[in-house]
Amino acid sequence: MDALTLRAPWFIAGPLIGLIVTLLLWVTNKPLGALGGYIELTGWTRGRPGPGWRIYFTLGIVAGGLLSALAGDGWTATFAYGSFDQLFGTSLLVKAVVLAAAGALMGAGGRLAGGCTSGHGVCGMSFGSPASLVSTVTFIATAIGAAHVIAWLLGRGV
Amino acid sequence: MVGAAFGFVLGWARVTDHDVIRNMLLLREPDVFLIMMSAIATAALGVRALRALKARAIVDDSPVNWKVEPPAKRHIGGSVLFGLGWSIAATCPGPVAAQLGRGQFAGLWTVRRPFDRNTRVRPPAHTEHGSRGTEVRRHHRRRIVRFR
Repeated sequence: MDALTLRAPWFIAGPLIGLIVTLLLWVTNKPLGALGGYIELTGWTRGRPGPGWRIYFTLGIVAGGLLSALAGDGWTATFAYGSFDQLFGTSLLVKAVVLAAAGALMGAGGRLAGGCTSGHGVCGMSFGSPASLVSTVTFIATAIGAAHVIAWLLGRGV
Repeated sequence: MVGAAFGFVLGWARVTDHDVIRNMLLLREPDVFLIMMSAIATAALGVRALRALKARAIVDDSPVNWKVEPPAKRHIGGSVLFGLGWSIAATCPGPVAAQLGRGQFAGLWTVRRPFDRNTRVRPPAHTEHGSRGTEVRRHHRRRIVRFR
């Protein structure tokens, strides 16, 4: 169990994620994507048919997160959010507003681009989709640039 | 089940941690890029093997295949927005769901917006933030309680 309390090294986590993409394609014949579950859930609450498999997939991710915590350091509820707390302060209101804004950007952007980090970045790239390549390069470049700007603006030596 | 496996690996690799993603975006450590690249390489081989072996999908017996899209303007525009959000929250739709399962409830707020907005294709006006926060947050808290 010791291995589970440590952070998995990339050469284990990466290939495992690759196998999961493969497995999902084999089981459902659908590309993996985490964002689809949120989109389906919004549609479902607005009267569209559902729940579809993507909702179960996203709920599965929640369950998997729970399992990984139980198998690792143990499960604790917390609102703490790492160096985010040093950058933006520990005020729950500020955290709510900033994270909600970030979530809105990701939701709208991911919807527009038709994929997120897992959808375009891992799954679409492995399929060799040109749209995914363009999307992935764009969002990684934007995020790296913006993260540096944020660090520069709010740095405080974090 | 497959989702649970995905969530487990995300949690295990700690890409649910704000600092891990932030260190990636600040180019302080290459681990997450290496995870993505090795995942792409493995999946690229895996899905091609499935197609070459003429595998059939387990749920509906359809031949395993996929579609690729040509790039369009929306991919760039959407990805710029996505990248901005990603850099602020230092998480994205997959890990945020795993965060909830791990008890990192700061993820609740990050989750909330995609829920509200995703049915619209146009980016939202920022003046609307916070108006329905409390109500939706309670809704999520209930949802999480079921997982305990």
